[in-house]
Amino acid sequence: MAEQIPVAVIGGYLGAGKTTLLNRLLSEAQGVKLAVLVNDFGSVNIDAALIAGRDGETISLVNGCVCCSIGDNLGLALHDLAERSDGPDRILIEASGVADPARIADYAGSHPRLALDSIVVVADPETVRMRARDKYVGDLVRLQLAGADLIVLSRTDIVDAETCRAVRLWIETEVPGARLALSPDLDHGRMFTSWTLASELPLDGTALRAALATLPTEIVRAKGIVRLLEAPDRRFVLQVAGGRWSLDAEDKDVDPLTKTRSVIVCIGLTGQLDPARLDCHFAGVARTVGPADLVELLRRGASPPREPHP
Amino acid sequence: MPGPVTVFAAKKIITMDASVGEATHVAVRDGIILEVGDLDDCAAWGPCTLDERFADSILIPGLIESHAHLLDGLLWAKAHYVGPIDRPDPSGRLQKGLTDNDALIARLKEIEATMSDPTKPLVGWGVDPSLNDPIAPITRHELDQVSKTRPIFLLHASCHVGSVNSATLEMANYAAIRVPGVLRDASGAPTGELREMAAMLIAVKAVAADMIGGSTDAAQFYNFARVAQARGATTIVDGGGSTYFDPAFLASALAATEAEDFPARIVAHNNGITVPGVDDMIKFAKGLDGKGNDKLAFQGIKIILDGSNQGFTGRLRPPAYLGSGENGLWNRAPDELRTLVPALHKAGLQIVAHCNADQAAELFIEAVALAQAAHPRFDHRHFIVHGQMLDESLLRRMASLGIHATLFSNHLYYWGEFHRAHTFGAFRAAALNPAATALRLGVMVSAHSDTPVSPVDPLFTLWCAANRVTATGRVLGPQERVSAYDALRMMTFNAAYLLHRDHEIGSIRVGKRADFTILARDPLTVDPMTIRDIPVQATVVGGRVFPVG
Repeated sequence: MAEQIPVAVIGGYLGAGKTTLLNRLLSEAQGVKLAVLVNDFGSVNIDAALIAGRDGETISLVNGCVCCSIGDNLGLALHDLAERSDGPDRILIEASGVADPARIADYAGSHPRLALDSIVVVADPETVRMRARDKYVGDLVRLQLAGADLIVLSRTDIVDAETCRAVRLWIETEVPGARLALSPDLDHGRMFTSWTLASELPLDGTALRAALATLPTEIVRAKGIVRLLEAPDRRFVLQVAGGRWSLDAEDKDVDPLTKTRSVIVCIGLTGQLDPARLDCHFAGVARTVGPADLVELLRRGASPPREPHP
Repeated sequence: MPGPVTVFAAKKIITMDASVGEATHVAVRDGIILEVGDLDDCAAWGPCTLDERFADSILIPGLIESHAHLLDGLLWAKAHYVGPIDRPDPSGRLQKGLTDNDALIARLKEIEATMSDPTKPLVGWGVDPSLNDPIAPITRHELDQVSKTRPIFLLHASCHVGSVNSATLEMANYAAIRVPGVLRDASGAPTGELREMAAMLIAVKAVAADMIGGSTDAAQFYNFARVAQARGATTIVDGGGSTYFDPAFLASALAATEAEDFPARIVAHNNGITVPGVDDMIKFAKGLDGKGNDKLAFQGIKIILDGSNQGFTGRLRPPAYLGSGENGLWNRAPDELRTLVPALHKAGLQIVAHCNADQAAELFIEAVALAQAAHPRFDHRHFIVHGQMLDESLLRRMASLGIHATLFSNHLYYWGEFHRAHTFGAFRAAALNPAATALRLGVMVSAHSDTPVSPVDPLFTLWCAANRVTATGRVLGPQERVSAYDALRMMTFNAAYLLHRDHEIGSIRVGKRADFTILARDPLTVDPMTIRDIPVQATVVGGRVFPVG
């Protein structure tokens, strides 16, 4: 899992501000090798001063990032990136303006070296409500917003405050529980903050599930590999994206007495994610038990029935 | 120096010409029609060779398949056909449909037994569980009965689903793949059914890599033409996804089609599908203008507006899909189309627009209206491909803007019942592919197979337009049936008109190319329900006879 390259999908209807966001992320990336997959070089319009060279379908930037054309097969372009020896640290896919970003996100799982990070949908506060009523694209615009792990309102620095407020209200009604961010607040690298829970001991599955079901909405994404007291011969993979979560046992057995750390990483928007609050939220999950209790728990904890696959 | 004159005699020649309807003899020289009439009329051109092999047959203008895909030829070249529909293969042999999983497994075992290299993947195409009786999924359990060690990959007729065996799942490392389209059983193990490209991709790369990425295999061109020729087509359209702008691909296409015995003409649309920018689209299209040869030409630029009706990705006007009220997907953004269509129109190109459902057609019509307002053009002959849900209002707007259409009449037979029950309901299913209304309003319509989606067979397509009968025998929308004459005109003159080639092909008239289809019976006098059973005896392309079988 450590080997996997996180993939984010940037969606949103035509003119929402996707390429502006991508351009900014590309030009401001520092120390992170981003690879951005775009539909059309022409529309990205990368600052010429940043371009180190172009080789067919790839533009290399002086800061180590690359911008690649999707060509006629997104899957192949993505797999090509995954298989490069000097692969990127992160991949961003620009979804076409009429794509359902959730379908594009399916490709993130189509290669063992890739993993879905998040679905970000960009919306222009001045036009999004009108688009959502349009007879040709209204259903699609609403579908895109509903599938987002994070909705980014673009151009909030130049749109008047009243419009922004109204649009935020509208989105909160349209997509209950939506995670919202304003683009001027977004600073690459500092766009997201993470909080980590690590424990040498197996976690309490009941408490963990309860904590996952009531996650604070500022968490955009979380993942982890954990061991649970209820089934100490298994490792569990934890995934949270938007409001959805899953906790699935891995296939292979592990020796119950082997030490495997449980680690959960939560990612949220900088300025919104409150570490102290998360400490409280997960307080009952990592139980403090003495060695004798632990041996007893492990002895009792025969494998439970496997969770059915979703 | 002019070449020798050949006179073909027939029991009856149906010319489809507006002025002279019937004849018994046609004189041909250097691939061009010299005279149409009786033997004496033809003899006016001097000494000739009288060819009487079709003297007891019906000679009609060469049938034109107005929308198909070269992929059909590639599939025949790279994979074994194992679908439920009878299809003649490029060698002329009929591949009988395999309509249940037992028959499929038996056939795959036969194929497997002939393969010497035990590691070579077995790749098949054309399977369609929805047309099988009984309807049953094709999973690794079925395919493992064929082989547990040789990788197997079957591409479904829809091209959106693949079925694989355990060997392929293992080889492609599906244990590490997390895509919803990888169907799984209760224990979490993949069933071998892979839905959509994200799920299929790693299997395709592992076992069928030569099916993707612009193969230059020369056999695809021959197969594509040959399968159509076997069912009477003399011209077949390659409908838009191919990469002729790539010099290697073009060279391969030119070399294949230049051969004397290449069995049909190909008219290829320029690629507005995989070329992303409008500037490149125009540049590539203009670059190919006139680059073809006698049997390969480039005409029109293909763009795609929506998805497929039976795949629930067509863009419908309200109330959208039956029951759910959900709608499909745009292939390009409506706002982009409002600038793309005028740009292509202004550049002087003919636009060929895939619009499967009615909202897609409505948007295309709106975009052409914008284009015409900004840059009026006569006789552009932009046309809609599929246009399955056109109605009188849309057709009237099309007539006024000069937009025509090729309809997907084969859908009435293959998917008519499916549309009635699952996608559109009774009324909209009965109104599908309204050829009669289109012709009445002066919209030039043809009809097509969209092969490999349905088998290329112009007589069958003609039969569908004339009878509108579903696979279970129901007549869908009898008001939209057309006469056998009109249906034949759709598959000849009208198709030629759509391709800007009605001055060259599409009817039998002095000065046109000598492209004919030879039938055993007269399609205008037999019971219309039997038209599809008329044996095709031969085709003639540029005066050269291509036997069938």
